Amino acid sequence: MIGITDLQKIYRMGDVEVRALDGVTLDIAKGEFLGIMGASGSGKTTLLHMLGLLDEPTSGKIIIDGTDISTLNDYEKTMFRLYKLGYVFQDYALVPDLTVRENVTLPAMLRKDLTEGQYRDACTDILTKIGMLDRQDHLPRELSGGQQQRVSIARAIVNKPDILFADEPCANLDTENSRMVLDLFREINEEMKQTIVMVSHEDWHKDYFHRIIRLRDGKVTSDGINDRNAH
Amino acid sequence: MGKKELKVAFLLALRSLQRGSRSSVILTILIIGMCFTNMIFLPGLFNGIGQSITKQVVDYEVGNVLVSPKSGDQYVSDLDATLDLINGMPGVERATPHFTKGATLKYRQRILGVSVRGISPNDEKYVSPLYTKMIAGSYLGQDDTGEVIIGKPVAGDASIRQEDEYQSSLGGVRVGDSITIDYGNGYVKDYRVKGIYYTGWSSADSAVYVSYTDMALADPKAVDNADYITVKAKPGYSETFIKNELIQYGVSQKVQTTADLLSKMMGQALQSFAIINMVSLIVGIIITTVVLFIVITIKTINSRRQIGILKAIGVDKEVIMHNYGFQVIIMAVLGIIFGLVITLSMAAYLAANPIVTPEWSATLYLTPMDLIINSLILFAASIVAGYVPAYQVSREDIQSAMRA
Repeated sequence: MIGITDLQKIYRMGDVEVRALDGVTLDIAKGEFLGIMGASGSGKTTLLHMLGLLDEPTSGKIIIDGTDISTLNDYEKTMFRLYKLGYVFQDYALVPDLTVRENVTLPAMLRKDLTEGQYRDACTDILTKIGMLDRQDHLPRELSGGQQQRVSIARAIVNKPDILFADEPCANLDTENSRMVLDLFREINEEMKQTIVMVSHEDWHKDYFHRIIRLRDGKVTSDGINDRNAH
Repeated sequence: MGKKELKVAFLLALRSLQRGSRSSVILTILIIGMCFTNMIFLPGLFNGIGQSITKQVVDYEVGNVLVSPKSGDQYVSDLDATLDLINGMPGVERATPHFTKGATLKYRQRILGVSVRGISPNDEKYVSPLYTKMIAGSYLGQDDTGEVIIGKPVAGDASIRQEDEYQSSLGGVRVGDSITIDYGNGYVKDYRVKGIYYTGWSSADSAVYVSYTDMALADPKAVDNADYITVKAKPGYSETFIKNELIQYGVSQKVQTTADLLSKMMGQALQSFAIINMVSLIVGIIITTVVLFIVITIKTINSRRQIGILKAIGVDKEVIMHNYGFQVIIMAVLGIIFGLVITLSMAAYLAANPIVTPEWSATLYLTPMDLIINSLILFAASIVAGYVPAYQVSREDIQSAMRA
């Protein structure tokens, strides 16, 4: 599904060179729920951004579903993100002026292969699934953090992407809401067979992952199967 | 850029305006409306003054075409034959002669220098609306003798003391009073005031009118001569057509259209008006462009992270750019509509309450084309002002935008 070879990301701050990723090589299988863990500054968000086509690597290769993403131009990357990838952000990142339904529908509206009826139905199904249908006309500021994150997840999966990326989606949530969000990810992974790559620094989250890789100073220090949730 | 992308861009724009900062949206619309008003009001007023002066010159001075003595001659001679020739031409409503003499009016203790205009009252009715401007008494009859009509400023007001008058007058002449006209050539005659008129055109209101018959008595040269002939065109016939026709059919006098005369009389004034109009237009465009540029720049700066997020979830930069473009278009359209409402309201008010000066009166003169052209100019300026910052921010890379 995803092949990463010798991935490097180097930031230059004046004369100082920071290696955010330093030769990461790994494969992620289809349907896997992968956790990327590590301390702050270990490079986990940088790796997620590379995989999500939000940033360019300094060197190395990323192949997603057979496509070498370094060969894509700007527009092709945008379409790749729209059709194949979903993204859940730490701070929900909903459009504040759009209602819940409008936020969720937004990516689906841009798909050329969906009619208005189809994306409306898809939105209704997902809102029902996350238990937010009764709040579909509310604005994000009228929702709790947990509710906003559920809407953010709904937006990420409305296009049924091949891969869902989540960047510390529980960082701003209490334990109860975090568990609700993680349960939702597990459900999506199991029911829709979606590949999920999630960044987290909370140790108890590992219970949800099939596989966990740990990063330190931009390098993979461990890569192991979680026996309890083996894929 | 497909229909779906435009639909999403429009949705984002509409929701941003509906649910974003309403005060900034309303303020922007007000500013655009005021700029539109500024762009169109002053030129409209100048055009109104120009139109008003042109109309009054046509109505009370020269008609559509003026026939005056050719170079070296003092009068238009062979008057009857010339009038017959002109009146027989297609497109000519009527031609009428004028013979003007400087004279002194005497009424009780008052003495006033004026122009006495000899006219052919019946023909004059076809050329000038003077006969409709009587505020007291009645208009001249064709063969009236010993009767005169005078302008309201000439008649004066008995309640105003002579030293307080803005313009010298006869101090309150009324219809039926007798005034004496001294033509300065030894011919002095008492006239009964048959009517008092007020046209709003200073030159006409400061004169007095007698019949051509009476003028011929005062100055025998008027018998078959005129200072000039004014020609009124029938509806649908241009001044230039009449002028060319008169020349072609052998009118040997000097023939000029109103436009010819006005370009000589008011050429510099019209040029000045055009410069002021252009300055007003440019200032309006610059203010609108700068305001919209600032508004959209602030909006985009405040929304950089959101723009990054939108790009991250697969929204193309073109959609993001058009989102801001649509916001500008909506605000520009509402601003222009607001400006149109203000402008048309002022036009209606000024139509009911014209600007009146001692020399002329004027209203706001706006043509649909003026409104359309100014709307399009402002609209185009708004789009440029909005799209430039939108284009810049939509090109920013996702990481930089999301870190903002």
